[in-house]
Amino acid sequence: MKLNLNQNKTGKSLTIIAPLITLLFPGSGQMLLKRTWRGITLFIITIVLTCLVFWGYNTYKIAEVNIGKLGTSWLWLPIFLLWLWNVLDAYLLSVHKKSPVVLAFLFAAVVLYTTAWMVTDVKLDRLVTRLNDAKSIAARLINPDFFQVHKDGEYRTCGWDCLWSYSKAKIQGEPTYVVRISENVGDIFGRKGTITATQWDSWFTGVRKGERIEGFETGKIVETIAIGVMATLFSTILAIPVSFLAARNIMSRIHGGTIVYYVVRTILNIVRAVDTVIWGLLIIVWVGLGSFAGVIALTIHSIAALGKLFSEEIEHIDPGPVEAIVATGGNFFQVIRYAVIPQVIPSFLSYTLLRWDINMRSATVIGFVAGGGIGFFVLETIRQGGYEQYAAALWAVAVVIILVDTISSKWRNRILEDKPKALPNGKWQTIRTWIYIIIGCAAFIYCWNVTKINLQNLFAPGPTFGRLLRDFVSIDLTKPVLNIVAKQMITTVLQALMATTLGALLAIPFSFLAAKNLTGKSHFSAWIFYITRSMFNILRSIEALLYVAIFVYWVGIGPFAGMMALAITSFALIGKLFSEAIENIDFGPIEAVNATGANKMQMIMYAIIPQVVLPFLSFLIYQWDINIRMATIIGFAGGGGIGLTLSTYFGSLQYHKAGTVVAMIVIVVALMDFASAKIREKFV
Amino acid sequence: MLKVENLFKTYPNGTQALNGVSFQVDDGEFLAVIGLSGSGKSTLLRCINRLIEPTSGKIIWNDVDITAASGKDIRMIRRQIGMVFQQFNLVKRSSVITNVLSGRLGYVETLPSLFHIFSREDRERARKNLNMVDLEDKTYVRADSLSGGQQQRVGIARALMQEPKIILADEPVASLDPVLAHSILKYLEQLNKEGGITVLCSLHFLDLVHRYATRAIALKDGKVVFEGLPSEIDNKQFKEIYGKEAERIEVV
Repeated sequence: MKLNLNQNKTGKSLTIIAPLITLLFPGSGQMLLKRTWRGITLFIITIVLTCLVFWGYNTYKIAEVNIGKLGTSWLWLPIFLLWLWNVLDAYLLSVHKKSPVVLAFLFAAVVLYTTAWMVTDVKLDRLVTRLNDAKSIAARLINPDFFQVHKDGEYRTCGWDCLWSYSKAKIQGEPTYVVRISENVGDIFGRKGTITATQWDSWFTGVRKGERIEGFETGKIVETIAIGVMATLFSTILAIPVSFLAARNIMSRIHGGTIVYYVVRTILNIVRAVDTVIWGLLIIVWVGLGSFAGVIALTIHSIAALGKLFSEEIEHIDPGPVEAIVATGGNFFQVIRYAVIPQVIPSFLSYTLLRWDINMRSATVIGFVAGGGIGFFVLETIRQGGYEQYAAALWAVAVVIILVDTISSKWRNRILEDKPKALPNGKWQTIRTWIYIIIGCAAFIYCWNVTKINLQNLFAPGPTFGRLLRDFVSIDLTKPVLNIVAKQMITTVLQALMATTLGALLAIPFSFLAAKNLTGKSHFSAWIFYITRSMFNILRSIEALLYVAIFVYWVGIGPFAGMMALAITSFALIGKLFSEAIENIDFGPIEAVNATGANKMQMIMYAIIPQVVLPFLSFLIYQWDINIRMATIIGFAGGGGIGLTLSTYFGSLQYHKAGTVVAMIVIVVALMDFASAKIREKFV
Repeated sequence: MLKVENLFKTYPNGTQALNGVSFQVDDGEFLAVIGLSGSGKSTLLRCINRLIEPTSGKIIWNDVDITAASGKDIRMIRRQIGMVFQQFNLVKRSSVITNVLSGRLGYVETLPSLFHIFSREDRERARKNLNMVDLEDKTYVRADSLSGGQQQRVGIARALMQEPKIILADEPVASLDPVLAHSILKYLEQLNKEGGITVLCSLHFLDLVHRYATRAIALKDGKVVFEGLPSEIDNKQFKEIYGKEAERIEVV
């Protein structure tokens, strides 16, 4: 009894103290009531939003209202309400009642989205007023430059309608124009022509290196494939030793290994936070423009990403075999060779294939800065206004990436099944292995040539490379630079926010259409399923950076165009993931709700939605992580944000300032990663 | 002769696993270690080959202080002590022969072993040991396609590769179907009787102890509460070791 009284007493005083101190210091009351996580979150959210309103008004006059002579932002109202909500929350917590969390979300959302709307320069009117531009680019996108017709003494692109009338005339035997495969196809896929002999050619055929010989001129898409393949190969080989250094259970076996573990983990996180395309900017200063720079940039980023995945895989192995090998008296290296490596091979292979998929996508855009592959080609076509050629490139990319995606996932599934193989059946097995080895070597040599890998270049860095390294150590932290960088970084983050939101809102209705268990039943609805699924897959296969040109044409250069491009890829990926989540739901509750005589909408509301909320949330967070990274580079194609600033600084050799931008990107991406990991832990 | 003197082990989280354990084992004995789960049996066995570092106390084996050895010396000692595990601890994706050969790692040069190069004698020895556990027809099969009992026999063959003077068996039959218990223990008994290998084996079922062990010790809360012949464990002793609620269970 006495104990109870005591609790009541402190409870009473807390009901007064907690709200009071919350009024002065958001979140402190919640912390006092031992809800530390909630307190810290509220504190951070309130302070960040307050700063955002302050910054938004000072920089862009966001949400300006005039009260008499005094100009201010009406966003202070939701901030004020949020502050009050904090106090209310502390009070309700102290008397053990539920507080209306929805309200807090509402206030925060008003502030965030109003600011984001203004900062990302959303101009809905342009979507309409410039609809003609949109129509014209759409017409070009569906009539890519694959065929040419000879008309009035010159070759012109021959779209689908032209092809249609041509083939009709041909079948009916009427005289018609000459139609041929376009030069553009040769540029993209390759053509017969003359090439410069390489070292390999001189070894195999005896011509001198540098001589012009007849051969197959590599197309840009082939070059892209080669970049992706080489980067995956190199990064896998290099990531394996790195991953052992970043695996806690391995490093704790060696003296001083834990320190190495922390250092390597930190480096991996920093390297991973910088997008491949930004690495491209740094690498061209080192080895110059070209595919080789692209390979290096992809390799560096992949080593970090794979290194992290590999090391986590090593940390999760079954410790039993390790114990057994130690017990036999095996040393450190023998333990790794006999107890660790056999266990991680399937997951390493599967991650490598996953990374190959990702690298192929990166390879399609690395050319924007590094000057190799289809990205460079796209950049050129846009500069010359050749949107038919651009469209052809996009279709080529879509086909290649969808193919890679299919192969990679099929292969991954097979590896992860990890069925014990039948006993080796001698001769055939050996012959097959040798055929694989020979094909592999030939492919390797071909890719090596195509990507113009030149290891000597690594030791002869470009003239400003030394300066780049020096300047990155002493980055520019003066106020004007920091102001610009902060402004662009906020734009970037808000772009990602808008794109994720917009993409998800669009994706939700479509994802129900693309779920086989909902639409795949009758003949008619099966068509809906195939169409929406294919739309997701095609849209998803093209990187946001390649879409920007469309929106630049439509709504003009700037953050709005970038945001729209990000929203398209978000729409496609979220849509695919959402529809798969719907496909994976438990059928039992559906049956139960149907049995009560509910209609289709009621069934969705009561049996499906409760099951998919958590996966939806987790995919949103995943997409948010991706978008933050993508938003940092969207500016390279005219999409606004920090990428534009970075490429300007790099272009004008202001490496001090470029260093500031890169440092900012690392910090923000790492912070966002941390935040999303926390949210995931809490809710998912 | 193996002598354990006043062994203590406290884990970093504060668990007191061993609380002054002392006993000795003569060469050629089959010593059963019994006690409830968590009584310290696994910790005790793992302290003997130093898979776990004891906090204090001594383990002396043929006048060598195991607890004082370090680095290369400890590996030299480990390779003479075979170990058989409750979960078999095979590398599931590797073939049976690779798993068996890995028992030889303490004896071979590191560099060739990293490339899976073993001498003809070692391969012959592996075949002989697989033959001994009646698994020669499974030599090139992947370990995870074997049944539990077969996997444990591979585990025994692996331990035999070390040509051990002692085998530590940590609950070797606890993960198996009870009816398979004898099929495993009879191999250990054969090694003990014919090969003269000392066996330290932790066991759950008393009738297995009666059937196989030449002597038994019982642990409770990290202390030795019984030491003697299996036949000396009467009902009173039994209640003392396993607690008042325990009942005897018979295995087939």
